[in-house]
Amino acid sequence: MNIEFGPELESFRQEVAAFLDTAPTPAIREAGRKTTSVFAPFEEAIAWQKILNAKGWAAPAWPKEYGGTGWSVEQRYIFAEECRRRQLPPLLPNCLQMVGPMLIDLGTEEQKRKHLPPILAGDVYWTQGYSEPNAGSDLASLQCAAVSDGDDYIINGSKIWTTLAHHANRMFMLVRTDKTGKKQEGITFLLLERTDYPGMDIRPIIGLDGFPEQCEVFFDNVRVPKSGRVGAENDGWSVAKHLLKHERGGSAASPALLHSIARIREAAKTTQSPFGGALADDAVFQRDLGELEADILSYRHFEQLAISGHPMVKDAAYPSMNKTMNSELSQRVSIMMTRVSGIETVPLQLEALSVGSNVAPLGSDFDLIAMPYYLNTRATSIYAGTNEVQRDLIARTVLAANR
Amino acid sequence: MDFLFTEEQTMLRDSVARYLDKTYDFDARQALLRSEAPYSKAAWSQFAELGVLALPFPEDVGGLGGSVIDLVPVAEVFGEHLTVEPWAFALTLAGGALAATGNHAAAHKHLADLISGASLGAFAYDEHRGIATPAQIAMTATPSGDGFALNGQKRLVFGAAEAGFMVVAARSAGQPGDTQGLVLLLVDPRAPGITMTPFRTQDGRSAAHVRFDKVSVAGADVLAKDAHDLIAKLISDAILALAAEAVGAMGALLRITGAYATTRKQFGVAIGTFQTVAHRLADMKIAHAKAYASLMYSTALAEAGRLTARDVSVLKAQVGKMGRSIAEAAVQTHGGVGMTDELSVGHYLKRVLAFEAMFGAPDFHFRKIGSSAA
Repeated sequence: MNIEFGPELESFRQEVAAFLDTAPTPAIREAGRKTTSVFAPFEEAIAWQKILNAKGWAAPAWPKEYGGTGWSVEQRYIFAEECRRRQLPPLLPNCLQMVGPMLIDLGTEEQKRKHLPPILAGDVYWTQGYSEPNAGSDLASLQCAAVSDGDDYIINGSKIWTTLAHHANRMFMLVRTDKTGKKQEGITFLLLERTDYPGMDIRPIIGLDGFPEQCEVFFDNVRVPKSGRVGAENDGWSVAKHLLKHERGGSAASPALLHSIARIREAAKTTQSPFGGALADDAVFQRDLGELEADILSYRHFEQLAISGHPMVKDAAYPSMNKTMNSELSQRVSIMMTRVSGIETVPLQLEALSVGSNVAPLGSDFDLIAMPYYLNTRATSIYAGTNEVQRDLIARTVLAANR
Repeated sequence: MDFLFTEEQTMLRDSVARYLDKTYDFDARQALLRSEAPYSKAAWSQFAELGVLALPFPEDVGGLGGSVIDLVPVAEVFGEHLTVEPWAFALTLAGGALAATGNHAAAHKHLADLISGASLGAFAYDEHRGIATPAQIAMTATPSGDGFALNGQKRLVFGAAEAGFMVVAARSAGQPGDTQGLVLLLVDPRAPGITMTPFRTQDGRSAAHVRFDKVSVAGADVLAKDAHDLIAKLISDAILALAAEAVGAMGALLRITGAYATTRKQFGVAIGTFQTVAHRLADMKIAHAKAYASLMYSTALAEAGRLTARDVSVLKAQVGKMGRSIAEAAVQTHGGVGMTDELSVGHYLKRVLAFEAMFGAPDFHFRKIGSSAA
């Protein structure tokens, strides 16, 4: 066993730290502090991506030949850890972590040449068109249809939970191209090079926190070129599955969770306990905070085993366990934050939450984000396969071991 | 980083597993528990033969020069088999105390006997309803002659009735709560003034409450004064070894319960097809993964000499909590048959609950973690 990263990785950490301490602008830092979901404020996330890209660090997980860093799994973890430690806004995942890697694996040379450089540079933003009003957990039952017409497809239907589509100028989507066979077999994966095609209508959805983050997109005879297809017609399900495929050591969620615990601990020092004294000194609070922190530390240990390449990552249940653990821990963190903030969670503070706003928060910065963070974090057990679906997948491996 | 055991460690684990698979299945264990024997002498000799009893001790006293880390992979196997032999207490606590005390003729002799399997050591530590940290030790060692006189009671002393020597943790000065004033004493379990109340534990081990009435300990048998840090280190080692055993038990529970949910039919289908049951299995697997990860990480920290008291609290609390949740889920999934003595699941439940109760329950460790930043 060996717990150390080694001197080379520690000096890498210092190099990363030095850059992260100086490179982000005040607006980017403010956006990090005001990030209340997995999606950071759009403008600042893009601005931060451009700064990182100039340094060559925008896509830690991409191969070097496509403009990635060529970093090892350990280096990527260290980079993510140092970013979270400074509460910097996470880069928007749709482009750099989803469509980009998918194109690197499955795109044509033409598609790669055309799409990868602007993705890296932050010049384009791709939204994901998967879910539909009647296709959530059961994604393969999607109905949004594309009918072949010469060199084009004509799309009719709608997509929902298209993240930040109101900011997007590109979209990758799943469409139904065959209704006759098994539902998984009639799906095609398309890249849309515009989001302003005639007949395409994007409507933001106001979320529980009062901000538009997700959108609904309507297609009324929208004509798009077939050159945007990835993989064969009716083979989009395997493309989508590839895109969802977990990479080894892909997760670095524990640093952010532990950072939140530290902030909760600080906030509790200046919060009064109804029994007198500070909440931080209250026995029940200490016990509950300790229980949550211990569980986060176990998850951190799980993450560390994963990045070391421990055989457990080959378990078919590993991605689902990882997702279930980190989503539910972030929900428990969000609950603990609202517990500390108490009635300070009640005022609605949309203006103070906006980056660059000249409206000051009514209470502390901690109180400002506690409720929006809590509300948005309800989504973590719903998106990317509900935790019910994840538990089905995990249970399958327990039962299959005995078949 | 790597969190894997060496080839040597793996080979020893496999040897122990092969031996226990052959001789120590659940039926054999049941037969052992129905007998008068406190534990299997045959198994104990075999552990000596395989080198398990020599593992954590320095070579100059006949050990293999390893540490508690080398016990972790073996302990997982012991947990799977629910062994009742007092290896963890004899090796990490009683033996550990002797090994830490340097040049001491009597200690070396006892240690040699422990390593060869000829004699067993017991560690008298717990008091009242349990001791969460060494500073809570209250039993008094009053200075007497060049040594001490012991008065009071130690509880839940594993292997006490069978032990050839006993190491007693007591207080020679100060009040419970003080880290100062603790001593470790070598005591003959048959010394005048010692009364034992032996019993079998819920999870099948042999233990005793031990009363000390003016038991005199010679100055030569004082193993350590100002012993707080040493006791804390021994307890930390014991927690690591027993946590490994508990994680082994949890892995067995997951496997056994998964198999049961696959074969047991109700309403015409395997009960594992019901989502409520399936999700309980998923939660068991998640709990096991967390406990296992913390065990491996803590082991690696210990190997690097970086395992702090806070890390030990995380391990103790998490394995205790996860062990209970997995074992209770296993009993529930088995239904009525899970309530019977003839099935192993209930025995695993009792083993993990014993771990949870000892050396500070989860509530204590959670509050310790919550009350101070890392």
